Amino acid sequence: MAYFKQKQALALASLVLTSQAFAGPLGFKGSVMAMGDFSPNWQETFANYAFTPVDAVGIEGVRMRSDDKTITRQAGQITYTRRLARWNTPDSQANVFLLSGIGSVTGNNLSSSQTLFTPGIQADYETTRVYASTVLRAYRGYGAGSANIKHDYASVRAGFSFYHTDYEETQPWLIVEARRMKGLSQSTEITPMLRLINKRYFLEAGLSTEKQARFNFMYIF
Amino acid sequence: MTFSNTLNKTIIASAVLLSSLVAHAETTKITVNGMVCAFCAQGIETALTAMPETKAVYVDLAGKVVAVESKDGMKLNAVKIKQEIEDAGYDTVKFETITQTVAQFKATAKKGGK
Repeated sequence: MAYFKQKQALALASLVLTSQAFAGPLGFKGSVMAMGDFSPNWQETFANYAFTPVDAVGIEGVRMRSDDKTITRQAGQITYTRRLARWNTPDSQANVFLLSGIGSVTGNNLSSSQTLFTPGIQADYETTRVYASTVLRAYRGYGAGSANIKHDYASVRAGFSFYHTDYEETQPWLIVEARRMKGLSQSTEITPMLRLINKRYFLEAGLSTEKQARFNFMYIF
Repeated sequence: MTFSNTLNKTIIASAVLLSSLVAHAETTKITVNGMVCAFCAQGIETALTAMPETKAVYVDLAGKVVAVESKDGMKLNAVKIKQEIEDAGYDTVKFETITQTVAQFKATAKKGGK
């Protein structure tokens, strides 16, 4: 029973917390940002609309399964993102974002859906050649018939671009992500990824230490 | 001779008058702090391009500047430009009016001369 609870929590943590973790979580005022995060164990799509320069609302849908393929999850949530702070210098920018969401999750071994709350914070620092970010996100799931979910998650990303590019050129980066769910995962998953940025396009592809292929994208309309 | 001088003066005066009546395009060069990523900086390009008086926009990440050229007969509004750039999340540092078009400025920037 404890094993299943742990698996459930791990799955939920993964599906909730992988979203928005790979770049700035909102675009510019009036923009719609679409994102996707795909690997064998989860497929996630996300979109939000920035209704002010610092606020965005969005929707997110996820399909998830455990590593042993015995547990599956489907979740949907409404999200609200706010840029709490921004620092600009001639050669860098840094941001702090509030992340939040509310929704529901179902699963093949859950007796009923659970209500999901996902408050978190993201901070990043970036120059034309260096990138670093961290995400801390708590999540709470409440529902009858299954244990309530209560755990924290953390991820760190760091990387560099291979060379300077002009605004209209594609810029390649090497990014390494380490993520861990405290009390849930017994190991820290590390994923090196190649990132390509070209104006409205943002693509990442990599292979984790768990031998999971991963593909992320973002596009701003 | 006198008639010729008078005619020349008239032609010159007319040319000056006509040139003053035709409003030329202008280009504003803005130095921007925090502009380090093309994916993020496109917000600046999108916002400035959407202004009705804008003919062309060029974002120069290496030079940390944005150049905006007005349409013929229209004037750029510096206050509006500043607001759009700040709404995109950046800080404006300096505004300059330059004699180049955006295309000329872009060509110069790509050659490494700012």
